[in-house]
Amino acid sequence: MKFSRRAVLAHIGAAGLSAALPVRSPAQNAYADLEGRPWFFFNDEQARFVAAMVDIFIPEDEFPSASQAGVVDFIDLQLAGPYGRGEGLYLQGPFPESTLPTQGYQLPYPPAELVSRGIEEVEGGQDGIRLVDRDLAGREAFVGALSGTQQSPVAGGFFDEMLKLANWGYFADPIYDGNRDYAGWRMVGFPGAHAYYLSFVDKHNVPYPVDPKGIAHVPGEGPAEFLETRSREG
Amino acid sequence: MAARTLPKTDVVIIGGGWTGLAAAYELANNGQRCVVLERGRYRHDATYFAGPGEHDDLKYAHQYEHMMDVSTQTLTFRNTPEQTALPMRRLGSFLPGQGLGGAGIHWNGQNWRPLPQDLQMRSFYVDRYGEQFLSDDDITVQDWGVTYEELEPHLDFFERVAGIGGAAGNVGGEIREGGNPFEGPRSRDYPNPPMKQPIATTLFAQGAAQLGYNPFPIPSANLTAAYENPYGAQLHPCTYCGFCERFGCGYYAKADPIICIYDRLVGHDNFEIRFNAYVMRVDKSSDGKTATGVTYVDEDGQEVFQPADIVCMCAYSLWNVHLMLVSGLGEPYDFRNRTGTVGRNYAYQTLAAATVFFEKDILTNPFMGAGALGMAIDDFNTGNFDQGDLGFVGGGYIGSTQTNGRPIAYQPTPAGTPGFGLEWKRAVRDNYNHSGGVLLHGSSVASPSNFLDLDPTYTDVFGRPLLRMTFDFPENDRRMAAYGLERVVEIVEAMDSVVSYATVNRAGPEQNYSVVPYQTTHNTGGAVIGTDPGTSVVNRYGQMWDYHNVFVFGACLFPQNLGYNPTGPLMGLAYWTLEHMKNAYIPNPRPLMDA
Amino acid sequence: MTILIRTLIATAASAAIGLVVVAEAQNFQDAPSVQSLEARLDNDARLFGAAVDVEVDDDLLEAGRLVAMGGAENGGSGMACITCHGAQGEGDGSGAFPRLTSLPAWYMYKQLIDYASGDRPNRVMSRIASRLTEYEMEAVSAYYSVLRSPREPVIGEVDGELLQWGAQLGAVGSAERGIPACVNCHGPNGSGLAPSVPYLAGQYARYMEYQLQLWKEGVRDNDPLNVMSTIAQKMTEYDMRAVSEYYARVRAERIQDDGVAVVPE
Repeated sequence: MKFSRRAVLAHIGAAGLSAALPVRSPAQNAYADLEGRPWFFFNDEQARFVAAMVDIFIPEDEFPSASQAGVVDFIDLQLAGPYGRGEGLYLQGPFPESTLPTQGYQLPYPPAELVSRGIEEVEGGQDGIRLVDRDLAGREAFVGALSGTQQSPVAGGFFDEMLKLANWGYFADPIYDGNRDYAGWRMVGFPGAHAYYLSFVDKHNVPYPVDPKGIAHVPGEGPAEFLETRSREG
Repeated sequence: MAARTLPKTDVVIIGGGWTGLAAAYELANNGQRCVVLERGRYRHDATYFAGPGEHDDLKYAHQYEHMMDVSTQTLTFRNTPEQTALPMRRLGSFLPGQGLGGAGIHWNGQNWRPLPQDLQMRSFYVDRYGEQFLSDDDITVQDWGVTYEELEPHLDFFERVAGIGGAAGNVGGEIREGGNPFEGPRSRDYPNPPMKQPIATTLFAQGAAQLGYNPFPIPSANLTAAYENPYGAQLHPCTYCGFCERFGCGYYAKADPIICIYDRLVGHDNFEIRFNAYVMRVDKSSDGKTATGVTYVDEDGQEVFQPADIVCMCAYSLWNVHLMLVSGLGEPYDFRNRTGTVGRNYAYQTLAAATVFFEKDILTNPFMGAGALGMAIDDFNTGNFDQGDLGFVGGGYIGSTQTNGRPIAYQPTPAGTPGFGLEWKRAVRDNYNHSGGVLLHGSSVASPSNFLDLDPTYTDVFGRPLLRMTFDFPENDRRMAAYGLERVVEIVEAMDSVVSYATVNRAGPEQNYSVVPYQTTHNTGGAVIGTDPGTSVVNRYGQMWDYHNVFVFGACLFPQNLGYNPTGPLMGLAYWTLEHMKNAYIPNPRPLMDA
Repeated sequence: MTILIRTLIATAASAAIGLVVVAEAQNFQDAPSVQSLEARLDNDARLFGAAVDVEVDDDLLEAGRLVAMGGAENGGSGMACITCHGAQGEGDGSGAFPRLTSLPAWYMYKQLIDYASGDRPNRVMSRIASRLTEYEMEAVSAYYSVLRSPREPVIGEVDGELLQWGAQLGAVGSAERGIPACVNCHGPNGSGLAPSVPYLAGQYARYMEYQLQLWKEGVRDNDPLNVMSTIAQKMTEYDMRAVSEYYARVRAERIQDDGVAVVPE
């Protein structure tokens, strides 16, 4: 299983970082140095927050957690790109205060801005203890309290957006840098993008245990890594 | 004023989807020079939809790459006329298309015929239960003005164009085992055999049969054999790849307007299609009796006027109505006074369903799917059962489909499962390969308070007012959905190997229609067909009452929505209209019916 | 060395010396142990309950190896598979003997069934397959599915435009002629999509071109619902040569020296 090293390390926190990396002096952007590329959208603080949050959504069990499966990297890329900029979103005003739930999203922010604002708004958090400084139970309580929150439209929109992005990142094709090593697909048994079932659809209750294959599958290996992460020392 | 006026053409066609390309094919081959204006880009099954690149769940199913761009044009929405409508800022409940083939490239391929009584809905219920039955509830259902017998040859022809696979239930009045015994008599069988069925839909069919119902395979435009259509298009058998709805088909295995029609038309001397041509309005003559052509914005952002003798409105149902409203064609519907017709009788689809959880030895392999793969019963569709004591009109088919197992959205979890966390994760994994579904695909009656008009506040990027949709499920349909869901549950309980089930009713009590969760891309009405200009926008030939050289196509014609997917009926209507254009109108242009 | 072995095998077969000598030839090449083959039996190579409900284990592979070398219950196929398809399933470039190495087991099993029934007509293979039991068909299919052998270098130069057209047909098909892309069904880079779709990458050009002609003429029609005939009928001779020459040159898998696959001199 190829975990996202960077996201795993995000959990260690800044304090643990130097201990985890005895061989190198801390660079200006520790994560960039670890993975051979910088974050595209997040700063380190935001990345830690997101890693903590998505791992409450999708925790580790026999299968990887969201951050282990690259979901933080996925979200970072999505928010840095056209999706984050609000492509395909109608953003003309006015934006009234009072809206109906049946009318859907009514904030003036594209997803990237919604996430930045959302983190900023909720991070100070309940009881003044930040999400990343809490233990597991504390993190669950923090995220649980955001679920269905009426705290503010931004907080509610942010929660919905993060849950959607985490789900996308865990199950989308690995070309988007999540679903590492087909973690999400292996979990459910989804064979992926290469699909031909004409001879099997009417064979009832027969297992179909193929290995997943994504759009950019390298035969005999697994998903191609377009953003392959190498240390600078390599 | 338009910056540039082009040479006149015989026919200008707004929209390059199923109806627009069918119109272009039939009229170009009838000797008319046709110009099709498509607001989206060129694309093609072979070169644009080839797997595995096309099998990108995120890009196509969740980021709507093939669908219309709402940042250019959207609509505003509210549930009731007292509320303030707000823009649908991203796609959700329905997914209109954009680009060659329109929504016809990302449909599922479930292709139905209307029931004979569907087309005479008001007279059918009045005959059966009396006038009071309809007026009690203030619903504005009406007859289509065209009968099943009249449409049959055209429904049949489209089944051949799209190579539909199915099992006939009624051929010339002879009821056939294994088909839908309730369907109207068909002149001949489907062109292709039905699809193979997986375990989940088979268990449904067995359960339904045990209760005495009549299960049959859903008629499918996912091809079940190598096939050549009447235009000479060669289609290939479906591979059950599970990337149908929201995707184009690179296998040539899902009938769509590109491979079925466009490929056989492109290069014809009478055919021209312009891409990235966004139609702004239909232009009217000074005497207000005819249209003179259409004005569009071309790919360079320039306004262009395309004069034409005939205008065919073949945009998606909602945008046909929008174009009429912004062009001042016909009289807009006024909710308060109940006058006017354009925007009146907007309807949708009423869905209620059960997700079914099977015992662990049932392996559903949900990723082996196809858009129209499934079994259905029609025992509870409009007029197929006694509704005298039930207090509602309409109905729907109840079916079980297996369309896909794409795991971003295919996450069946039992009732009470949390929305995230360890327990959710475990439930997703445990149930992925052991679940199915049973769905009531219900009709939608027309009601005076459900309508389309122009929004007073919001505009599209061209500065035109947005279309405003006012819609909630009428009480009639709530009763229908509640009754239908009870039947769904009875069938689920009769099915073998079921451990538990979870139900959802989009039209349940306290549930208002929402534009957020996907339901169906079956928006109907707003420019309805009929024989009375007081209650319809077009006459029974699809010709506008007020502008005899404007012909209207698509689901906007439906006076109320059927308990079926709309493509089959709307294509039947399209070929009916085209026949009358070719044989009656073009030789002698005039109103085909007296107002 | 490869050439020497092939000569030995050919000699053995033509002299009808039989199993022992052929087996010696096999041993001579230091074939991988059945245990090491079994380790390669990943999900994709499996039989998917093709017909006989047996575990895919070393017994089955052992039986498969026996069939491959010409020994079987009913007096065997009368001819060892390795005679023509090679000890490692490497086949040859004649067009008649495809590469079998690591083809999906289910696919090979189905071909044997179809040869035996005449659904895939071929005088030689039909006679061979009809003398195999179902168990033997499964066994020999499983066996070849886990073999690995080096790709033969593609001999002969072809026009660059031809290759380019082949690559284009493979990746995106042809909108003009209604030809769907090969990659729709044939797996990543044409590397096959187990269990039912064979690889194209690294298969012999002349074999693929010949098969396309058979599909086009309707002589071969043993795939489900005759998909390939429908496609081949839309292809010209040039198209067929183009995709065949292209895919023969594709190396879908990165070459890995796992001690078995040795590129011959």
